[in-house]
Amino acid sequence: MSGYNLIWVFIAGVIASAAGYLLTPKGDNQTVIRTIIIMTIACCYMSWAITYLAQLHPLIFPKKTGLRPHLE
Amino acid sequence: MAPTTLFRSEEMSLIQLYIPAEVAQPCVAELGELGKVQFRDLNPEVNAFQRAFVSEIRRLDEMERLCRFFNTQIEKAEIPIRPLTAAAYGSRARSAQEIDDLEEKLKEHEGRIIQMNGSYETLQRRYLQLTELRHVLRETGGFFEQAESRQDTIRNSMDEGDASTPLLEHDVEQQNHDEMGRLNLGYVTGVISRARMQTFERVLWRSLRGNLYMNSAEIDEPITDPDSDEVIDKNVFAIFAHGREIINKIKKISQSLGATLYTVDDSADKRRDAYLEVTGRIEDLNNVLSNTSQTRRAELQKIAENLTSWTTVVRKEKAIYHTMNLFNYDVNRKCLIAEGWCASNDISIIQHALKNATEASGTNLPSILTELTTKKKPPTFHRTNKFTEGFQAVIDAYGIARYREVNPGLFTIISFPYLFAIMFGDVGHGFLMFLFALYLVLNEKKLAKVDNDIFSMFFSGRYMVLLMGLFSMYVGFIYNDMFSLSLDFWKTGFDWPTEYNSTDTIEATPNGNVYPFGFDPSWHGSENFLLFSNSYKMKQAIIIGVIHMLFGICLQVYNHVNFKNKMFIWLEFLPQILFMSSIFGYLTFCIMYKWSVDWWALDENGNHIHNAPPNLLNMLIYMFLSPGNVNPEEQLYPGQGPIQTILLLIAVVCVPWMWFAKPYYLKAQHNKHHYQSVAGDDDVAYDEEQNGHAGGSNEATEDDEEEEEFEFSEVMIHQTIHTIEFCLNCISNTASYLRLWALSLAHAQLSSVLWDMTFKIWFGFSGVIGVIGLFIGFAMWFSLTIFILLGMEGLSAFLHTLRLHWVEFDGKFYMADGVKFEPFAFKTVLEAKSE
Repeated sequence: MSGYNLIWVFIAGVIASAAGYLLTPKGDNQTVIRTIIIMTIACCYMSWAITYLAQLHPLIFPKKTGLRPHLE
Repeated sequence: MAPTTLFRSEEMSLIQLYIPAEVAQPCVAELGELGKVQFRDLNPEVNAFQRAFVSEIRRLDEMERLCRFFNTQIEKAEIPIRPLTAAAYGSRARSAQEIDDLEEKLKEHEGRIIQMNGSYETLQRRYLQLTELRHVLRETGGFFEQAESRQDTIRNSMDEGDASTPLLEHDVEQQNHDEMGRLNLGYVTGVISRARMQTFERVLWRSLRGNLYMNSAEIDEPITDPDSDEVIDKNVFAIFAHGREIINKIKKISQSLGATLYTVDDSADKRRDAYLEVTGRIEDLNNVLSNTSQTRRAELQKIAENLTSWTTVVRKEKAIYHTMNLFNYDVNRKCLIAEGWCASNDISIIQHALKNATEASGTNLPSILTELTTKKKPPTFHRTNKFTEGFQAVIDAYGIARYREVNPGLFTIISFPYLFAIMFGDVGHGFLMFLFALYLVLNEKKLAKVDNDIFSMFFSGRYMVLLMGLFSMYVGFIYNDMFSLSLDFWKTGFDWPTEYNSTDTIEATPNGNVYPFGFDPSWHGSENFLLFSNSYKMKQAIIIGVIHMLFGICLQVYNHVNFKNKMFIWLEFLPQILFMSSIFGYLTFCIMYKWSVDWWALDENGNHIHNAPPNLLNMLIYMFLSPGNVNPEEQLYPGQGPIQTILLLIAVVCVPWMWFAKPYYLKAQHNKHHYQSVAGDDDVAYDEEQNGHAGGSNEATEDDEEEEEFEFSEVMIHQTIHTIEFCLNCISNTASYLRLWALSLAHAQLSSVLWDMTFKIWFGFSGVIGVIGLFIGFAMWFSLTIFILLGMEGLSAFLHTLRLHWVEFDGKFYMADGVKFEPFAFKTVLEAKSE
């Protein structure tokens, strides 16, 4: 688990977008379908990447109180 | 001809149609079915009453009135009207003969219905009168008997002091009439509404100074008043008094107070006979009434079968004639000239339709379609299908796009559900929303006919809600929030200590693992979860906001290129994007950089490599307050000082760039153009005149004048406002995106409180109490989830997403000063009228 995962997934996203761009059938809805595919990949990647990046090197760690004693 | 995309509005052409007068009506009908042409008014100076087809419209108006009349009659009789099937909408144009026939039929029906209504009313009135008479006959029997015993009161004022025979002491039936006549004791009987009874008595008492004897009885059942058609309670009254003058006075007073008078014979036998007769008549009338109403009902039912199609035909014809009134009638060639806008891609379809109409009407006269070149501003037409329609409507509500400018509706398809999901992110709630939208989508055809206003709002946005649900599920997985619970699919990145007491606060330690997708489930239920998630969500909101706004600014480039203003890319776009990037783009970079650095990393000796992690907000503020000075204890990266100074300088340079470059450039252009156009002025004017011959020449000269008119001060003021607005908006809009954080925090907290308070508390119970408690708890939890979390929060997040799109995103590039393309289409005509 490292920060480089971000880059690999980014490249995968770019390839998926390019594939979506090239493979959409011609027709009335071509622009719409292309836009949907590329924007969905971009938005989903952005959300995931921000979350992943934020947890790479956490500055604070979870604290809990009042737990029952560990069993094992 | 440009291909059809949603990216910008369609290319429109101004077309001119020459339609021979004989085929005018079928042609226009065909075009109405097609719905692709917006006709221009070629007779703007002509009064509505002087237009060519006024008489036809008046005729059709009359027919429409008849249809409305039938409608009200049918609704009163509560007969269901057969609605029109979708196929019937596409019925062919009616010939003039058929319209005449229809008119005849409508008039005939109307005559019959009016006749039946009239006779029904007369009969009804008669029936009511007879009913009242019957009551009167019944009650007055009692009055007359009572009057016997009260004759003293009446006799007191009479002359015959010693008349030994009391008035009605003897056999009433025999002597009644004579004695009444001898003593001039008259009576007035009638019916009056109960509410007026008191007033009546008082008025009579006062005006006749007590010289009367009045008796009244209530009628048990409320009676429908024949005049006013209301159901009111009535009383029967009988007034006994002597003297013709007094009787007349009583009659006048009672009539003025709204009483109905009925003559009643004073002999009981005759009254009994009258009673039987009246009862018999009432029976007969009842029969006749029911017959009449049955016939009327049958007639109305027959009408009801065809009413919708008649109404549709009449409305369509009216629309056709209204449209034909916009045309220019060329007397020489006996044809109509029509001018209108249509999408360039649709011209062949329109020609095809015209050819069909001409062939169907059987004549050989062709209609001719020519394209005109014009400088007029065309209307904006976005070709949408049922999926994109909802998103486009949301953008159009803000403003219609300028002709051929970039259409934000295309990007709204994904960015709207995405921003909504950031505020709503919850797997469970997203799934419920998705199911609801799925139901709407799968039952499209059936639900399209529902009439409710609020429901049709949700229905028209069904695809939007579908996507919103899907994205909410995705972001819910990222936030690891499912009805406020977390899922742990993968190995967590934190290890918890195993030796502790129940009262301790334990802290997890990172184990180098990064949770691959979304929030680490170790955070769920921890004390400082909000500390981490708030920081994360705020930063995410800023990043998304800055990217969204930069994207909006970049869309300007397309507009500048399309409107042939390439220079504006250097004058307007570049300073804007540099200003935005150097401040907020830099902030985004810093956020991401700070996240990517391991601040607690230790070197070989166990010392921290980095300084303490700096506070980004302070860093940004000090970048402005003391540029170039960065405390080494709080630096984000080495070399920060000079870099921040450079960025600040770039931003400062951009402001005058934005402010002055464009106006001075426009001024220079105007001067150059001015010198050139003085020479070529004459040629330009002639060309314009030839192009816009059918009433367009006014606009051509206007365009010419517009170019000449260039006020430098106006442009300068406009640009000043624009610059100030942009710079201030940079800050305020970026902060505005923090609502993405605020709403998602509220949603998460609401969701977790709801779970804890209504459902989780029952987990501690067992046995019968537990079972019942869980049952009630679930009901409460689920209904509150639907109404508060899905309903209220959903609408709230929708509203905020809408605001973000309209103000923050559209404000960066969207001109929105266009005119919507409204073609002549029967569908819109029929839908509009039915509201």
